[in-house]
Amino acid sequence: MYRISNILIIALLAVAVSGCSTVRELQIFEQEVPREKLNLSHPEAVKMEPLQWVIITSENAEEVFAKLKEQGKDPVLFGLSDKDYEFLSKNFAQIRAYMIKQRQIIDQYKEYYESEDEKTEK
Amino acid sequence: MFGSIKIAMVLIMLAGAGGGFVYVKNIKADLATSEANNLKLEQSVASQKAVIEQQANDFKKILEINKDLEKTNKTLAAEFAALDKRFNKINGRGEVRDLGDLAVKRSESVERVVNNATKKAMRCVEIAMGAELTEKEINATLKSEINSECPSIANPNYVPYK
Repeated sequence: MYRISNILIIALLAVAVSGCSTVRELQIFEQEVPREKLNLSHPEAVKMEPLQWVIITSENAEEVFAKLKEQGKDPVLFGLSDKDYEFLSKNFAQIRAYMIKQRQIIDQYKEYYESEDEKTEK
Repeated sequence: MFGSIKIAMVLIMLAGAGGGFVYVKNIKADLATSEANNLKLEQSVASQKAVIEQQANDFKKILEINKDLEKTNKTLAAEFAALDKRFNKINGRGEVRDLGDLAVKRSESVERVVNNATKKAMRCVEIAMGAELTEKEINATLKSEINSECPSIANPNYVPYK
């Protein structure tokens, strides 16, 4: 009787072992989280105030100050030498160039990232 | 005795048949899983290819952007050099232009030139900040019509003579 039960146990174990699966299903996780759009617009362009340069020399000084008084302006001028005027002009040009470059870089960033978003949204 | 051996044999055969059935069933399940895995791997390869293609497009775009920025830098550098040249122009006698000396001798005309240049420079700042171009600025093609301080941004239709 014991022999028969032993044989049965062995047979069941054989069946159980042969039933073990060796191939497992692959698990791939994908989760796409859409990035929030920044959508910042450029600040509004400023309207610049007009400036008036006055050239004053030892010869025309009296005339210039008289003209200022005539126009109801204080008889005072904030001066620059010719070299300093050149430096001011060049500084101004460099600031302007910097603004142009920055604006272009911002536009390119916007186009690079946000145009792709628009494409994928379609 | 023989009766129990027979029963045992029949049970073993039944167990063997059952085991075989389960084995085949598992093989089939494994095959189905393998097929599903293959499909996932193929999809994975396809999405990897799409990523590589996207990266290639991105690199291309980055190169184009850098090229554009480089072009702008060169144009602005040329405009700055033109400004420097206006201040330090060499006259017919081989001397460097002296703005101060000119201003002493011809105060009114230099004042007019300086004020015009300032007005143009102010307009350049407005354009650099994003102000819209006027019709006059857009249509300017002659040197006498342009904003000489920043023609690259103020006069898109002006082609400088080289």
